[in-house]
Amino acid sequence: MTSQLRDALRATAEDVPTYPVYERALATARRSHRRRLVAAAATVVLVALAGVTVPLTRTPALDPAGADAALPDRLGLPPIGTLHVTDRPRIGAASVIFSGTAPRLRGWIDTSIIGLVGADSDHYRIMRVGGEAAAGETVYLSPDGQQLARPDGDEDEPGVDVVDLATGRTRHLKSSVTNTVASTPVGWSADSASLVVRDDVPVAFDGATYTSVLSIVSVDGGRWTRLASGAEEARFGSTVAAAPNRLAYQYGRTVAVTDGQGRELSSFLLPDEAWLAGKGAWGPGGATLTVATRRPATGEWTLRQVDPRTGRDGEPLRLPAVTGMLSIRLLGWAPDGSALVAAYQQDPDAAEPPLEEQTGPPATAEQVSSVRVLALTPGATAPRTVLTAPAQVDAVDVADQVIRAGRVRDAEPPGGVGARFWLWTGLVTALVAGAVRYLARRRIRRWLDDRRARASGY
Amino acid sequence: MVESFHEFVVHRSPALCRTAYLLTGDHQLAEDLVQTALARTYRHWRRVRDGNPEAYVRRVMYHQQVSWWRRRRLVERLEPAPTEPADVDHSEAITLRLALNAALRQLSPRQRAVIVLRYYEDLTEAQVAEALGCSIGTVKRHGHDGLRRLRAAAPELVQDTAERSTR
Repeated sequence: MTSQLRDALRATAEDVPTYPVYERALATARRSHRRRLVAAAATVVLVALAGVTVPLTRTPALDPAGADAALPDRLGLPPIGTLHVTDRPRIGAASVIFSGTAPRLRGWIDTSIIGLVGADSDHYRIMRVGGEAAAGETVYLSPDGQQLARPDGDEDEPGVDVVDLATGRTRHLKSSVTNTVASTPVGWSADSASLVVRDDVPVAFDGATYTSVLSIVSVDGGRWTRLASGAEEARFGSTVAAAPNRLAYQYGRTVAVTDGQGRELSSFLLPDEAWLAGKGAWGPGGATLTVATRRPATGEWTLRQVDPRTGRDGEPLRLPAVTGMLSIRLLGWAPDGSALVAAYQQDPDAAEPPLEEQTGPPATAEQVSSVRVLALTPGATAPRTVLTAPAQVDAVDVADQVIRAGRVRDAEPPGGVGARFWLWTGLVTALVAGAVRYLARRRIRRWLDDRRARASGY
Repeated sequence: MVESFHEFVVHRSPALCRTAYLLTGDHQLAEDLVQTALARTYRHWRRVRDGNPEAYVRRVMYHQQVSWWRRRRLVERLEPAPTEPADVDHSEAITLRLALNAALRQLSPRQRAVIVLRYYEDLTEAQVAEALGCSIGTVKRHGHDGLRRLRAAAPELVQDTAERSTR
């Protein structure tokens, strides 16, 4: 039944010549191999890029109320290759920023690195700042944790940079203070809408002496309102504390209280060995100010309340004292009435500061070897450590909303290497592989031909 | 003894080319098909040389032909020129071949592959199923449909004995 078909097929096949396909098959195979290599390299590059850019076309949903914000119970050094604060995915809001002299917190050529920890997770980011910068001294986290203020480091047009952690955008607030040579943020207003900025203005042409000018600056409009000015030695704004529609700042031995527009409401003198306690100096109700006092004989630190109008002592706080620390800064008040303070351990190897700078706390980062955050709970006999930091982390700032949330979480600081490391490693590997392949293409082809010839005996 | 890829091509190309032509019905396509299948085999030569490299090449050819057909089935092709030597009178063979080519063009690639494997390569249905990577039932269906179409297109190639006996 199919014999005719078989015969026809065979007869047709017999007339088919042998096509000269050997060389072209080899060429096709090599071309295909090259394309696969290129595709693999491209894939590596794309995957590396995707690691940083793709997860990330999305901006994290913000949680303005800070419902999940919590204080990590420990900090780690940011891994090599940690994403920058402007990289995607954005961190959204931070709970803690920190700085120090650890190698991973120092950049190239006089650059400091500020580490950031996410508001509710151990997502780390870094931000480079030119010159010496310290968290809570020259770089400040806004009360809502969503903005970061830093000096812009521009000597020609000094100002302050405000980095939005949700969008990654940096807003530059150029100083309106005449003849200023440096602008440094020293605190935030309670609503995160304004900054307190100190400008250094040389008195004489040679710049040997300076006047400090303290201003309140709206972040949106860049409007600069002068608060006070005076000799640099008075350390204007060494401590700034904000409450809703009120501001307190120290200069010399004086504490001034102003309203939200910078109009002075009152001022009072501090006794010896007492200082405005820190950015959280306003009591939880905003009716009292808190002063940190050092007992000279024991070096013991205690907090006490004072009337913001007169400076007279208020109700005793019944908080445990802090001992063995160079200084403390009051960061804020937890819902249970605990005061959270950054406690600075003295660096025994630190150089003695010049006499004119020995005006007392707050301690500067140069004198500190490590920092931790303590909770001073009413009625407790001793402080409780709520955050520890690695050695050589000597400055820390905590977002107000995290303190107000009153939660501490078990932290797992990231290890290994960061996303930027993989991005650059992938790119460099792909480029090197591509370059080697391109440069050695003739040698590789010759080697393959030789091998084939040896194998086939030709 | 393990032969080199070159030796393999030298020894097996004629048979592969014949099969490729029967699968495609076009010398140019057949040449491309063999070339593509050999290129793929060369890339995997280290892995397939110790087994049955020819079976591998053929399997690649079958699947490649189906794949190509899917991509260009809407493209009209011109009838290729005869390639046999001109000094031999093969009028009967030419007539038969043209009839076969015309009939084979009525088949889908799978039907055509089954017909070629069954009636040119003389493989059993099980062997065809293995070569094409499908079930025996599928081979039977394509074979049946293919023969039915061939019979309709060129009755002289596939004679229905039952019908003939009644005539």
